[in-house]
Amino acid sequence: MNHEKIQFDAIVVGAGLAGSAAAMVMAREGLNVALVERGNKPGAKNYFGGAIYTHAIAEVLPDFMERRPPFERPVTQAGFWFLAADGSLTKMVTQGGKLKAEPADAYTALRATFDLWWAKQAQEVGAFLIPKTTVVDFIREEDGQVIGVVTDRPQGEMYAPVVIICEGVNNLLAQKLGLINHDLEPAHIALAFKQVISLPTETINARFGLPDENHGLAASVLGDVSLGLPGMGFIYTNRNTLSVGLGVMLSTLAEYQLKPYEVLERYLAHPAIAPLVKDGQLLEYGGHLIPEGGYREMPKLYTGGAMIAGDAAAMVNALHWEGTNMAIVAGRLAGETAIEAHQQGDFSAKTLAHYEDRLKEGFILPDLKQYRNFAHFLDTHPEFMGTYPAFLNEALGDFFSAYGKPKKQLFAEMYGALTGRRNLFQAMGDIISMGRAVMGW
Amino acid sequence: MKKGDAFEAKTLSPELQESLPDVYVDDLLVSIKYFLDEEQSHLWIEDHEVCERCLHKPCIYFCPVGVYTQAQDGKIQVAYQACVECGSCRVGCPYGNIGWILPRGGFGVAYKFG
Repeated sequence: MNHEKIQFDAIVVGAGLAGSAAAMVMAREGLNVALVERGNKPGAKNYFGGAIYTHAIAEVLPDFMERRPPFERPVTQAGFWFLAADGSLTKMVTQGGKLKAEPADAYTALRATFDLWWAKQAQEVGAFLIPKTTVVDFIREEDGQVIGVVTDRPQGEMYAPVVIICEGVNNLLAQKLGLINHDLEPAHIALAFKQVISLPTETINARFGLPDENHGLAASVLGDVSLGLPGMGFIYTNRNTLSVGLGVMLSTLAEYQLKPYEVLERYLAHPAIAPLVKDGQLLEYGGHLIPEGGYREMPKLYTGGAMIAGDAAAMVNALHWEGTNMAIVAGRLAGETAIEAHQQGDFSAKTLAHYEDRLKEGFILPDLKQYRNFAHFLDTHPEFMGTYPAFLNEALGDFFSAYGKPKKQLFAEMYGALTGRRNLFQAMGDIISMGRAVMGW
Repeated sequence: MKKGDAFEAKTLSPELQESLPDVYVDDLLVSIKYFLDEEQSHLWIEDHEVCERCLHKPCIYFCPVGVYTQAQDGKIQVAYQACVECGSCRVGCPYGNIGWILPRGGFGVAYKFG
């Protein structure tokens, strides 16, 4: 049977943060864009612990605030919490100053509502959303040029001179296209799992010291949360829910034979955490991978007729919780490159290489390059998850206690508490290693 | 992480091991919404003999929703219905012995909050 060839100006695979940004930018310039989503609706497959950054949203949609984004709370408090096995907690949290409420630099959010809204902004400027459709392969010319995709629908071929791949962390299409020749490395991906816990707004305000629902906390939780193993916990306050979870390196979970839900339950039962979630009702549990391999494990970012953005391209800066912003900005840059390709009528790798040039000019590639050793650093320096958070709690506990003994003796004991765990040379080495991993030396 | 027969399990200190609570994963799964594909599984064991050779069977542990369990006859069972499509088993199986494709469009997990 003959059927009409379905032709678009551009196809975007995945209506997540990157995909809808790309679709929005292209549709607004008049391109006929297909936005293909495998979930029953945008956001259905997405799970994060987290925050959305307004600088990225504004780059794509300057008047976003008037469009009433479904943000939860502005992030007005942010910092690190250090948990120890003895039940203690040390907080390093900043508030006020740059963390102002309106408009905030970051808002907590939930992806099922946020991604739906974000995709809707693309639909409103003309992008054609095709949900419940999984892209399984590409249509390519003999020279390899991508000219369309194959979906799992009957007669599901769709054609376009440019395809933007925003398929998420499981980058099967990137592998199929040869943009990367190996799969994700378990030591460099975190399995993140969390609970969305329901609590009355006033209870959240009271427990976290927030004056009202226009104030929110985002905290990274280190130490006992991951049993001192490579991983990081988080707490985000939403309007009337909490997002509480943690990410642990997949290799760590596999090697220590840890069940994620048991590690999470242990975290929620920690004496310093339990009062915060007490009487909360579980609304949703879930899990998702985070590609933390960064620069060293990025695929090639373009080929003839295709570009790749977001988690699929390992665009995550784990230490700074960045990823959602990179996805949105990279999606925009890929969209702008596709527009340029249409103007020139040239979709070859040579033209699409401008996508990588754009990523180099902004923060994405420079940051990922600078932090290129960070995943390896975390994998090889578990002290930062175990030894140091425990020491910090013990040392501060001692510092603010009066035991009726000379301070000289107390400081000697604190010094001993450190060197008993890590001798001075090791400690200096750890600090230098961290500096190198963060500064990119 | 070493792959294949070279995969090495590590042990927690007894105190840490002791500190992990028993959790019945089904209590968590009831909070997740799925559109179940009753016709086909998107997960499968490639070769059950490889699982027999696998000493530590880490999939039983690391899967966040407990898809993999060991039956009384020792065989690994796959409860694909609970899968949240994270991909951990796809790359975490030391032998690459787990077949993994995306569910058909519209099926699988559908997070309500995310």
